[in-house]
Amino acid sequence: MKIKLDLHNHSCLSPCGSDDMLPSLLAFEAMEKGIDILALTDHNCSRNLEPFQEACELCQILPIFGMEINTIEDVHVLSLFKSLNDAQEFGFYIESLLPNIKNDPRLFGNQNIVDIEGNIISTFEKSLLTTCGITLEDVVSETLSRDGLVIPAHIDKKANSILANLGFLPDLDYSALEAIRPQDIKETHNKTVIQGSDAHYLEHIGRRFCYLEVDEISYEGLKKGLIDGKVSYKK
Amino acid sequence: MTVNDLAKIDGFNTIILSDGSLEVSSAYTGDLLSDVIANVGDDSVLITVQAHKNTIAVCSLSSMPAIVICNGRSCPDDMIKAAKENDISIFETDDTQFLASVKIAKALNL
Repeated sequence: MKIKLDLHNHSCLSPCGSDDMLPSLLAFEAMEKGIDILALTDHNCSRNLEPFQEACELCQILPIFGMEINTIEDVHVLSLFKSLNDAQEFGFYIESLLPNIKNDPRLFGNQNIVDIEGNIISTFEKSLLTTCGITLEDVVSETLSRDGLVIPAHIDKKANSILANLGFLPDLDYSALEAIRPQDIKETHNKTVIQGSDAHYLEHIGRRFCYLEVDEISYEGLKKGLIDGKVSYKK
Repeated sequence: MTVNDLAKIDGFNTIILSDGSLEVSSAYTGDLLSDVIANVGDDSVLITVQAHKNTIAVCSLSSMPAIVICNGRSCPDDMIKAAKENDISIFETDDTQFLASVKIAKALNL
């Protein structure tokens, strides 16, 4: 079956994400847009994944629990998991690698940890908008060792992308690649190139997505679908 | 000058001297490695804070014989190993990229 996939979204926990980007609203808006498999991928942090799970259950969307990790090379990589526990555990490890720089909400925005109703439970103190002390190679191996999916984000973006920061794509065991303009990617290294909305505002949700042929709507179906690579893009 | 001359610059610590006889005729200062690849000339030493293995790949691709890692950052073991395999030398310094660049410019009589 052909499903609608969007594996790149931020919530109000990401400083650059709007305060209105509640995990619950992300799920509801994605449901409206017909997304079948949806990931929440805040910068370097997994603390809004729990309300995201609850909301996806209500919306009958398959949740994928992720983070957008900012590596030592200043490259953004999506690290995605089947279970909330695995994502949270890896998230706590990533948090511990963040430098001790306090977020200044006036300059960078709030880092709100919320519940399913959008009530602010607490705020995350350390700045999430920075590189954490892990290499690209270690993000790949650590994610794969936890049965996760690892996808370099927006590889064709002019900043914080593999191609801009490194100038080439190191030969690592990526699960797929994400691009803003997948049709223009010449060197895919035999990987499936997906498109994600990288939503920071409610109106961004579903602005980019892709269709993927899968056997079933499940994490295993997604994993196999990415290997099979029958992907198509919005016209 | 040669890579050996870089080792003599005040405040530069030699992490690995792979081939000290290699010619250094210029330098390039940058942390955005795609920009380095696009604009660096041959026989240049790279002045950067990018202390990881992929920097070695960039140097190898662009025929750079040496790297100066600035701001007191330290190189991981896999980077040093890759440097050795690719005949690239590495120096570390507490200097900023600006100060390291000035010192190298003086050594090159620029």
